[in-house]
Amino acid sequence: MNKFLLSGLLALAICLCQGVMAQDTLKTYDLQELVVTGTGTLHLLKDAPVQTEVITSKQLKNFTGKSLQDILSFLGTSFDFNEDDMGSHITMNGLGNSYILILVDGKRMNGDVGGDNDLHLIDPHNIEKIEIVKGASSALYGSDAIAGVINIITRKHDDGLFLENSTRVGSYGDIRQHNGIGIRSGRWNSYTNFQSQHTDGWQNTSVEYTLPIEEPVTDSKNKTRNRFTNRQVAERLTYDAGKSGEYYAEGSIYGKRIYRPSGKYAHYDVNTYDLKYKNASASLGGKWKLGGRDYISFDADWNRHAYYYHYTDNTLVEDYEKSEGTRYYPYYPYLAGQEALQSDQQRTLISAKGVFTLPYGNRLSGGAEFRYDYLHAPNRVEGGTVDDWTAAVYVQDEFNPSKKFNVTAGLRMTVNHQFGFKATPKLSLMWSATNDIRFRATWSQGFKTPAPKELHYMYVKQMTGTYLYIGNKNLKAQSSNYFSASVEYSVSNLVITLNGYYNKLDNMITLVTIPTYDAPAEYVARFDPVKTRQYQNMDKAKTYGADFSLRWKIGDFLLNAGYSYLDTEADLYDSNHESVKRVTIDGMAHHKGSASLIWNHNFSPVYHMSAGVYGRISSKRYYQTDGNGKGYQIWRIATTHDITSSKRLLLSIQAGIDNIFNYVDRTPHGRHLGTTTPGRTFYAGVVIRFTNGRKTINKISSNINTKDDEN
Amino acid sequence: MRTKFILTLLAFAMVLGFTSCSKSDKKSNYDAYQKTVNETVKNQKRNDKVILLVAFGSTWQQAYDAFDATVSAYKSAFSGYDVFLSFSSAICINRAAAGENVAPRNFYAPPFWLTAFAQDGVKYSEIVIQSLQVIPGEEYARVINYIKDFANNSNGDLDDSYLSRVKLKLGVPLLQDPETDVKAVAKALNDLYKDKATGSNIMAFMGHGNPDEYDTYKANIRYTQLEEELQTYSKNYYVGTVDMMENFKTNVLARMKANGITIGTLFCHPLMSIAGDHAHNDMAGDDNENGAPNEDGEVEDTSWKCYFAANGFTCNDNTQIVKGLLELPTVRQVWMNHTQAAINGAPLDYYHSKNPE
Repeated sequence: MNKFLLSGLLALAICLCQGVMAQDTLKTYDLQELVVTGTGTLHLLKDAPVQTEVITSKQLKNFTGKSLQDILSFLGTSFDFNEDDMGSHITMNGLGNSYILILVDGKRMNGDVGGDNDLHLIDPHNIEKIEIVKGASSALYGSDAIAGVINIITRKHDDGLFLENSTRVGSYGDIRQHNGIGIRSGRWNSYTNFQSQHTDGWQNTSVEYTLPIEEPVTDSKNKTRNRFTNRQVAERLTYDAGKSGEYYAEGSIYGKRIYRPSGKYAHYDVNTYDLKYKNASASLGGKWKLGGRDYISFDADWNRHAYYYHYTDNTLVEDYEKSEGTRYYPYYPYLAGQEALQSDQQRTLISAKGVFTLPYGNRLSGGAEFRYDYLHAPNRVEGGTVDDWTAAVYVQDEFNPSKKFNVTAGLRMTVNHQFGFKATPKLSLMWSATNDIRFRATWSQGFKTPAPKELHYMYVKQMTGTYLYIGNKNLKAQSSNYFSASVEYSVSNLVITLNGYYNKLDNMITLVTIPTYDAPAEYVARFDPVKTRQYQNMDKAKTYGADFSLRWKIGDFLLNAGYSYLDTEADLYDSNHESVKRVTIDGMAHHKGSASLIWNHNFSPVYHMSAGVYGRISSKRYYQTDGNGKGYQIWRIATTHDITSSKRLLLSIQAGIDNIFNYVDRTPHGRHLGTTTPGRTFYAGVVIRFTNGRKTINKISSNINTKDDEN
Repeated sequence: MRTKFILTLLAFAMVLGFTSCSKSDKKSNYDAYQKTVNETVKNQKRNDKVILLVAFGSTWQQAYDAFDATVSAYKSAFSGYDVFLSFSSAICINRAAAGENVAPRNFYAPPFWLTAFAQDGVKYSEIVIQSLQVIPGEEYARVINYIKDFANNSNGDLDDSYLSRVKLKLGVPLLQDPETDVKAVAKALNDLYKDKATGSNIMAFMGHGNPDEYDTYKANIRYTQLEEELQTYSKNYYVGTVDMMENFKTNVLARMKANGITIGTLFCHPLMSIAGDHAHNDMAGDDNENGAPNEDGEVEDTSWKCYFAANGFTCNDNTQIVKGLLELPTVRQVWMNHTQAAINGAPLDYYHSKNPE
């Protein structure tokens, strides 16, 4: 393992020595980026009052990631993933999915209902850039923004005709297809996006974890990653009313099927159904420009995330419906090929926001939100259906007492019909000590309302035995206090940031093993669980650590390096004995790093090439049960070749090798893996893009203070 | 334009049609599944009388072997009877029946078997249902309810005249009788394991038990009675459970200590019909816990093996006897005696027992 690290570092050093020959500045990179996530208003990255990490369009283009997960794990510093059939279990600075708010163009991601994200909903080819704000941001964004916010900014096509096709193929039947059509006619603009993703999946081991008293199982059919296919169509229609504003309507549909193989061991690898997801979304909204930088915006958004079993074998379900006319079905059979809805989660969000310039260097943002959640889960929720609503108002002021100082203060007040009233403040300070050095500090509170699933769900999982999971109607909202301080040093070709943080969570919701006699008797009789787990508010938890990042541009070379240290403590409540034990949070790794060295070169006016080496490293990941995940490091080579035959037509060829040192974690099924990578894989792709008209994506403007946009 | 509109409406109607699930769909699913059970019974019918063995079910190969051996033993002992085995757990039924490169194991749920027994061309003259439960508790009550649904023709799709003449018989669980059954099982276990309950050897049986705080079925006491009976042979026998109130592993340890037993080699043995999830997890499982008792004594996530090892006993993989009671022929004989007693006894009178007029 160490020799891989040494060879990687050696390669970096050699490239650096070559690159240092030519000098350039970073002005086309980091600091002139526009960011919006920290305050909800546009700022140049260097002036952003809240520390923001940006994955730029240039980085995305050079990296040619196949998925959002791929992108975040290599280009971000503090992410980890456990991808399984239920979605991408992302962790950010030690906290999981349900504490991370994922936004798409500033709006909650479709399918992010209660924290289980399917990151495949986001077309990686349609991402303009990614902004990451760590820590609590509930004052601005409401529930779930406890570990941080990931804001995916999608590409916009404002003028003329735009046609794009991208096809990428890779090992293990990996096929990624993206098509985009943009048409502008007068004030109307339409953009249609289609994406499809497929993998055959892979199996890193055919060994199941078994006890010494058992016969070993070495020919399991369980895969490390199951085969899946998904498709998505999205349409966005905008009307540009000129100086008075802009209006839009958009919608999408998405379908995904995950195929689950079956073997011969009923206890380990026999499955009688595949999983299917059907998502849909529709939104409309507009922005009225009030002159200068002031505006009012309105958004209405509905989305649906439905989850089905697709039966591949005849499957009995117990207690299907207690009465059906005169018939009573203690068992109901589904036949192979049929589907059954497991849960249908729908969210409706209506929001209004205004941004106003006030005297004495103040800028005021304020808004109101109403959110309605609906969950229909015929066999998993008592009565079949539950719902929930939340209303909130918030206000934020950005105050610049001088050119060197910024104070941003915000407050959200939330009312929820389950847990009542909650106020969450945020305070950020920025001090530009010199032209090169900036200090930032933040104190913010976060909260997360219990998800309908955590309150009401009942489900079982087959693992080493049957595990019964039950909701808890008495859950309180989780809340957090986040403190961070950072320093940023930037000169023409170098940007270094160091950020320290402490995040303290109260009433953290987690699954706690409870005595079976505390579970509803009817479930116990039906499933005979070996363990019963219930969602409960743990007393408290904390995460603390430091993130370091460096960007250094040397001639045609760009070096990125990131390191993240993390520690966690959680007090796990043992209801059986009314005692508390101190543990680490599942999935935590103390050390994480990422590094990349990218070389960009114009060989001629028609041929541009980039080549990059990317690495990510993680130390051991800790878990309460089923073993710890091994530490790992993975290195990747990515190249892109742009051939521009005319101003209107671009042909780009991409090729690379992922996991060049062929690292594979072959831990038996049933135990935690450090990473699910299948080992060395190859990919190649081609992008053909035709543009006819002005291209207005990601404007970089030094006079940003007089020109604004919303998000 | 109008054509487009009509096409859109049609498409919408089709989508609605596909997503709704009508009552007739539900019935046809039920009928299609029942048909496969009917065919299984029709094809395998050799006799005019039938024994249906009913267990909760399992997904472990060792359990399938135990069930297969039990069916064989029944076929040998009860000539003149067809023998089928039923699971009451849907998850266990589904997993046993599916899978690739294995012969399907059809442990259909009791109502499907009973309906198949009553179909034209089969209509067994005598149906004996034998509970493979250990105590007459909650699962046994479910078995009785299935028989009552059947006897009362709850879904109205069976032949009433057949139901009025078929002889329905019920074989009781292993520890039905607090005197004779408890004594018989204790003797069989002691005959097998007496060397593991002498000197510094301790034998701890792990039963299931009903988890109700209020002991609804009054069946949990059989574990206590069995321990008392076993202790007439040796004070080194103990019987605890995973779910019975005040008879968890912590209570077992307390009783040992009260008898002055604090060290020794501790053997664990499931007191369940088969060695399945509980035997592999709750009894012999490995876990991340160190098993050390807190002030209350118990840690829910800890197996018996880890718990007793942490409390000073020699208790490891070598002292786990991972065998179900059906794998012990002398104990299995007690169930078979119950079947014989049912056959010898009067038929059940369950007609109108659920919905008396």
